[in-house]
Amino acid sequence: MVKQKKSPEETVSELEPIAVEKAICEDNVRPVLEEIKKSDGVIGYILRNTTSATIDLNDPTRLMDYATLSSSTFEASEQLSELFELGKISYIKVEGKDINTLHLRIDENDISIFIEKTVDAKKILEKMHSQ
Amino acid sequence: MENDVYSLVLRDTLTEITNACPDIQNIFLFKEDGSIISREEKNHEEATVHAVDALDEVLEKAKVLGGTQSISFEGAKGTINVSRVNDFYLVTVVPEKADLKYVNIFTNVLLPTVLNLLDKIAPALNQNNLSETVSEEPKTKPAIKPNEDPAEETAENHENHEAAEASTEKILPEPQVNQFIVENVGGLFASSDTVRVDCDTLSQWTELYEDKKIEEAMVETFGGKSVRCKLKPLKSAKLEGKGIIQIPEKIQQMLNVGKGELVRVKPIIE
Repeated sequence: MVKQKKSPEETVSELEPIAVEKAICEDNVRPVLEEIKKSDGVIGYILRNTTSATIDLNDPTRLMDYATLSSSTFEASEQLSELFELGKISYIKVEGKDINTLHLRIDENDISIFIEKTVDAKKILEKMHSQ
Repeated sequence: MENDVYSLVLRDTLTEITNACPDIQNIFLFKEDGSIISREEKNHEEATVHAVDALDEVLEKAKVLGGTQSISFEGAKGTINVSRVNDFYLVTVVPEKADLKYVNIFTNVLLPTVLNLLDKIAPALNQNNLSETVSEEPKTKPAIKPNEDPAEETAENHENHEAAEASTEKILPEPQVNQFIVENVGGLFASSDTVRVDCDTLSQWTELYEDKKIEEAMVETFGGKSVRCKLKPLKSAKLEGKGIIQIPEKIQQMLNVGKGELVRVKPIIE
């Protein structure tokens, strides 16, 4: 009887902090991304986790293209990491002819940032990791 | 693509790069059409194919960026770099503490140099044509694939070609130029005026020129020397499919070539 009573309480106490942590994490990331988005040469970002997605792009007509690029890149990184035993991928940088992208995973959030080629990707990474 | 001279040279280059940079865990080249050139190690092959599949998807989607110049995946234990080199994508996998500057010297300088050099010195080895040819042919074909090279056609062959045209009133394809690796001829009774190539190549030529007799070939060196010799199939099944031509010592001396060197061979159509 004692055990049966304890177990539901434990479940609740374990679940609650996780939900709070997720919310805090997303709340921490979004302001940083909004700050980055204001910088010159930043085209936009996609922030996605298991429950929600936030997309802020200068050109909304490219939304689908950028969203599929973002998800393909994260999928490929998982496969490649497994194949070549790279461990946790800290970030991915794709240099295009016209535009560069940065993809990073912070906790449960998949973040893709689209930037002009003149933008310093290292500075953006530093900002993201300093949050 | 693994059966042509172009890929042979590139594969050697990749192996040499790896020898010079032991930090490189894996290195391979691939094209958008899915052709892969990797080192000889079989244990890397499966991972390479899966990696190309994964990267292909990203490259396709990255067209929205105006095409891809490079991709780097920074992991806790290592890094994968994908960079565009001419028509290829070069993929290198290095561990966390690798000296990337040193690796980049080789991958960003040596490989493009080799590719440019290949294009300059051997335009006949056009990799696009070869990849198309190879994709249509079984893997058992010789390691060195034939290349059409109309500019190489000698006056003698041209006459033969014209004669054949006149007699049949049918346009025959230009004589193919195949490249082979020189091998010595063994045995006491080896004919001193006969070279031997694999049956597959002979069958190809016979197919190409339909019922024309192909009993002789012109063997040429890259230095410009050439000898007309009799042509027969290889006797040893072990040598089949390796891109080898057995040349008697006398002809080797005339051509000033030796075992392991490359020569070009054109069938003479009678």
